[in-house]
Amino acid sequence: MPLLELRNLYKAFGGLQAISNVSLTVNEGEIVSIIGPNGAGKSTLFNLITGVYQPDRGDIIFEGERINGLTPDKVTRKGIARTFQNLRLFTHLTVLENVLIPQHHRLKSGWLAAVLRTPAYLKEEEEMRKMALEKLSFFGPRLMSFRLHQPVYVLSYANRRRTEMARAMATGAKLLLLDEPSAGMNPKETKEITQIIRRFRDEGGYTIVLVEHKMNLVGEISDRVVVLDYGEKIAEGDYKDVVNDPKVIEAYLGRREE
Amino acid sequence: MRNTLLTLATVGLAILGLYLLTQAEGSSGLLSALTLIFIWGIAAVSLNLINGQLGILSLGHHGFMLIGGYVTALLMLPEKERAPFRTRLLSDWARNHLDLDKWLRGAGLDFIANSIDLKFVVALFLAGLAAAVVGVIVGAPSLRLKGDYLAIVTFGFGEIIRLLPNAPEVAALTNGPLGIKGIPGDAGTVWWTFFAFLFVLWFLTRLKFSSYGRAFEGIREDEIAAEAMGVNLAYHKVLAFTISAFFAGVAGGLYASYLQSVDTQTFNFFVTFFLLVAISLGGLGSITGAVLGTAIVVLVRIYGGFLEKPYPAYVGYLGGAVVMLSAFAFSAYIRKARRLRPVVETKHLIFGALGVALLLVTVLFRNEPWMTQTVQFFGLRKILLAVILILIMIYRREGIMGRAEFSWKLIFGPREDIPTEEQRKQDAWLSNPDLNPDAAKKEDDDASA
Ligand SMILES: Nc1ncnc2c1ncn2[C@@H]1O[C@H](COP(=O)(O)OP(=O)(O)O)[C@@H](O)[C@H]1O
Ligand SMILES: [Mg+2]
Repeated sequence: MPLLELRNLYKAFGGLQAISNVSLTVNEGEIVSIIGPNGAGKSTLFNLITGVYQPDRGDIIFEGERINGLTPDKVTRKGIARTFQNLRLFTHLTVLENVLIPQHHRLKSGWLAAVLRTPAYLKEEEEMRKMALEKLSFFGPRLMSFRLHQPVYVLSYANRRRTEMARAMATGAKLLLLDEPSAGMNPKETKEITQIIRRFRDEGGYTIVLVEHKMNLVGEISDRVVVLDYGEKIAEGDYKDVVNDPKVIEAYLGRREE
Repeated sequence: MRNTLLTLATVGLAILGLYLLTQAEGSSGLLSALTLIFIWGIAAVSLNLINGQLGILSLGHHGFMLIGGYVTALLMLPEKERAPFRTRLLSDWARNHLDLDKWLRGAGLDFIANSIDLKFVVALFLAGLAAAVVGVIVGAPSLRLKGDYLAIVTFGFGEIIRLLPNAPEVAALTNGPLGIKGIPGDAGTVWWTFFAFLFVLWFLTRLKFSSYGRAFEGIREDEIAAEAMGVNLAYHKVLAFTISAFFAGVAGGLYASYLQSVDTQTFNFFVTFFLLVAISLGGLGSITGAVLGTAIVVLVRIYGGFLEKPYPAYVGYLGGAVVMLSAFAFSAYIRKARRLRPVVETKHLIFGALGVALLLVTVLFRNEPWMTQTVQFFGLRKILLAVILILIMIYRREGIMGRAEFSWKLIFGPREDIPTEEQRKQDAWLSNPDLNPDAAKKEDDDASA
């Protein structure tokens, strides 16, 4: 059984067909990249999967269960978490708080128990803290120690991207949707994040779908590449096959401007 | 541990201070100022939970306070005060059943019914509960709205609730526009309000620094992101709204007891407005700030009375000169602190010039009749508050405290967010490996491996 299956999805914004007839399967443990020119509908596809938008037609199946129509928080609780193309961190909260909030939905203690600091609540809080540190440690020591207690707005752009990825992982999801994880990173940082994304899968056991523009990153880590153009899937397969596909070259690489 | 001790010591000192104050002579003015600070402090801190922590502009707080006020009044009103309007207006059913004494004795809780203080605890709790129930009823449908729309809807609900006691059907219970008089003043004393205030501070601080508090703040920071991270928006908004309404109800009950009367004008929209000024002044989202802001507003209102007394006109001119000159000095100070150049901006010279001109006029014409005649400025206190608010919004929009809270760590350390020398070095090393030959070498090894 595939982990995620999209069946003939359609989504229009007014007259604009942002997604049309897109089908896709993602198996457990895969890293799948979605590429395509700007405006191809990549982010819209993520928004459909996570319940931000509802598809006009088609099904979204996660672990054998149809999840269209669920609100974003319920989708996350099913096990799909995402990052945003234009960072959406809790800017005035600390790094640690940013990585604790996504675990809130797993809290069993009620609000009164939380106020009274019952032993059960304190235990859960301790576990949440441990989990937060575990996820942040994927990125080495740079977000640990004093950075944990600094508000996000003092962080560098690359550190914010890292925090956002740790936040998505902390939801306890199995499937991570990363929207341009290396945007705004320099070549060295991009190289590092490529390794780290691979470690998400190898050490963290996550399945990953990512949208990316940097072809070297895509080529290096993808098990499979899907190409979107004007909302349609125009190619799918191995990185090498896809980039040599004449249709893709025309649609994407032909007018590639970075 | 140290911090807990410090907190306990502070509370102990506050209790001692209050005790000495109650024993001192001529302190009744200060005591009632403190009482009001405690009561309005509870209301402000509870409004801050919605407006500051959840980030939703709610304008109906006075409605919840009113519910608390009326419920407390009805439950606590002694039989002889109740009798006149009871026999006149109250329905038989209400006369026979709505009686806290009867309920308590019926439940075998005579010891509570016999003590007016314990009865007040029950009454205030029920007052909060009633406000909270209405909070859920109002909040659940309207919290789907966002921003301005929600503000307007909460304002509308607040006003509907406020006018309800006047409606003929309800007037049988509430005595209509006449309101209820003769409420026992026991809970409106400085001790009662002090301990209630402490309890609310404790409760809401604990809530703020819990997982639920973090979820509220996540919603404030970015609703879409919070939802994408699994936070159930509807549940948490209604939860915060309800808790806030509960404490608003308690504050309303305490205020009714302080005044020993309640009517629909006791809790009009200006109550909410006043609370908004207080929490904006102190810093939206900060409990410390809400308390500080309330204290400032209450003190200006109580002790600003001298501003509105009759004075000879030259005092007014002199006051104007002082205000203008301090505005001039203040702007220069701010620009200096922010390292703006030039320190004295040309347009700010107007303030200085006006100040000097007023000063000259006062001195030159001090014996003219129009200078010595008596004048009086009504409403100067409100103007002063408005000016303070405008200044805060211009120069420190986040309020006095911003979002920060008072904490012992802030004063005595250790500050976890400030790196040690070693941590700072490591951080620099990580963010710029090029500067570190060892790191560069290690990376080459990785690449060749
Ligand atoms: N909420 C929306 N309303 C209207 N049009 C939208 C909306 N979201 C996306 N679009 C349009 O859908 C198309 C696909 O956008 P998007 O998915 O963001 O592209 P990308 O592949 O660059 O991520 C674009 O033309 C965009 O303008
Ligand atoms: Mg995009």
